[in-house]
Amino acid sequence: MDPALLVVWILRLLFLGLLYAFLWSVVRVLLRDLRSAAKGPGTDLGRLIVLASPSGEPPVGVVFGLDAVVTLGRDVNNSIVLEDEFVSTTHARLTFRGRAWYVEDAGSTNGTFVNGSRIDAISPLAYGDELQIGQVRLRLDRSRP
Amino acid sequence: MTAPPAAQPASRPASRPAFRLNVRPRFRRRELGLLLVVAAALFAGSVSLGATQRAAAAKLAGDAAPAVTFAPADVAILAAYLGVLFAAHLALVLAGRRTDQILLPTVGLLGGIGLLLMERLPQTLAGSLGGLARTQLVWLVLSFSLITGLAIAVRNDAWLRRYKYTWAAIGVGLLLLAFVFGRDVNGARLSIVIGPLTGQPSELLKVMLVVFLAGYLSENRSLLVEESTRVGPFRLPPLPYLAPMIAMWAMALGIVVVQRDLGAALLFFLVFLLLLYVATARASFVVLGAIAAIIGGAILYSLLGYVQTRVDIWLDPFADPQGAGFQVVQALHAFARGGLIGTGLGAGLPTIGGRPPIPALHTDFPFAALGEELGLVGILAILGLYLVVIERGLRIAASAPDEFRSILAAGLSLVVGVQAFIIAAGNLKIVPLTGITLPFISYGGSSLLVNGLVVGLLIALSDKGAELIPPVPRRGRLGRLSRLVDRGAP
Repeated sequence: MDPALLVVWILRLLFLGLLYAFLWSVVRVLLRDLRSAAKGPGTDLGRLIVLASPSGEPPVGVVFGLDAVVTLGRDVNNSIVLEDEFVSTTHARLTFRGRAWYVEDAGSTNGTFVNGSRIDAISPLAYGDELQIGQVRLRLDRSRP
Repeated sequence: MTAPPAAQPASRPASRPAFRLNVRPRFRRRELGLLLVVAAALFAGSVSLGATQRAAAAKLAGDAAPAVTFAPADVAILAAYLGVLFAAHLALVLAGRRTDQILLPTVGLLGGIGLLLMERLPQTLAGSLGGLARTQLVWLVLSFSLITGLAIAVRNDAWLRRYKYTWAAIGVGLLLLAFVFGRDVNGARLSIVIGPLTGQPSELLKVMLVVFLAGYLSENRSLLVEESTRVGPFRLPPLPYLAPMIAMWAMALGIVVVQRDLGAALLFFLVFLLLLYVATARASFVVLGAIAAIIGGAILYSLLGYVQTRVDIWLDPFADPQGAGFQVVQALHAFARGGLIGTGLGAGLPTIGGRPPIPALHTDFPFAALGEELGLVGILAILGLYLVVIERGLRIAASAPDEFRSILAAGLSLVVGVQAFIIAAGNLKIVPLTGITLPFISYGGSSLLVNGLVVGLLIALSDKGAELIPPVPRRGRLGRLSRLVDRGAP
């Protein structure tokens, strides 16, 4: 067979193959997109685990899934309600911005502590950091280890 | 004076730049990756086309053993087209919106396949800007500029939502203009001529119609779902709210009667029924609509001669293979010659006297030409690309924040997808042939621009909204020092 013709045919099949390569990569992206949509929003941002809670509400060991904006406090309107006498009505605010979590004190009486030191402005909160609000201690974890 | 003491973190707002671009460039890795595959595919296709064409030319010149050179068919066109695609990508990156990354490469590949086909056809077929392929390239460039411009600029849909009746009126007005001042092409009165410009208003009308339907259905959805009228086994919404639906049906029939444009009528009516289903989730509407369409079609068939001709050709094109059925028969032969993997780009369609055997190949029958040159494998891939457009549209619709956007996104993607499937089915003799374009592949400015409008709006609608911007981190020595001082302070 004529080698030039052979190369032309290889090129033709390559073109068809690349059309399917495109479709294949698109379908992969679409499937990933659908899978993450089925999981629901906010589930992969992180979670808070209760480490210590003298009042027993929430009990130790409870895990909270987090949305992009989370408020903590004693009031029932907070996303996470902490029944502790040292916790203010709206105590602290956690926000997921860009690619990281930030914590901000919402004007609480007793302050918000990250790894034992009191914060005075919005400050980053890394995965594994310990957050103390009143007498409640919580740890921020990744959803999937 | 000394600098302000470092232990004053409150001075942060002052240290910010006076003005900041409120958007940040945002890399679109998926889009870039897909565009690279598109570029590779189009390069391979162009080289294969170039080699085939040069070998054919050498054989025609009497060269017994032609030396095949491997180079793209037309480097300038390929480079310009890929340049436009990557420029569009760069503009979207710089705009920094979190929008869809699949649609641009997908329609880019469709447009590129169309461009390869136009390069391969006789350049004298149409086009005033130096041949068929170059004219198509100019329109593609304009279309992708429109996509990019809309995807970047459209941040608000109030102007679509608020003036839905205005849009519908403009669309119908354009159609009436075509009725009155239209120029007849092949018996169909499709285009209006304004000075040097010709345009097909029915292309624009389809977008206006989707906007109107999205506005109307999202507002009256709850009323439409309410059941107060009963017709036999069907439960209908209150009669006054059916009026626009009946108007739609009448308009579709009117287009067929006056404009003799079966394709546009079919497209409008199908998209209308699908959107009605999307908005209300009631199959009974679709059944009723289909029955109404069949009745209307039967009446038109018995009254209008050219509808009869179309249907008769579809039923048996071989009754008059040299006359009325010529196009359809030639298209079927083209598919048959193509077989499974096709003859290869540039190797199909031996021209008869310098003209391709199928009339209107570049506008109405590109699917048949691609079926011959790329085979079953190739046209299945092309149909797959249209499915991707539909999937993206429905996905954008599913995650849209409100009903108007949701129905609009579904309608915009369906209008492209349904049009592609109507004309592909027409080429394959699955439905009666109708003269509409294959989106992004067919030659023609109106079609490319309007489909660009559709995809641009879809990308803009897919915006996931701005991310919360992280607070400006306190970097550098002073920042670290100030934090230390802060902590040390009692």
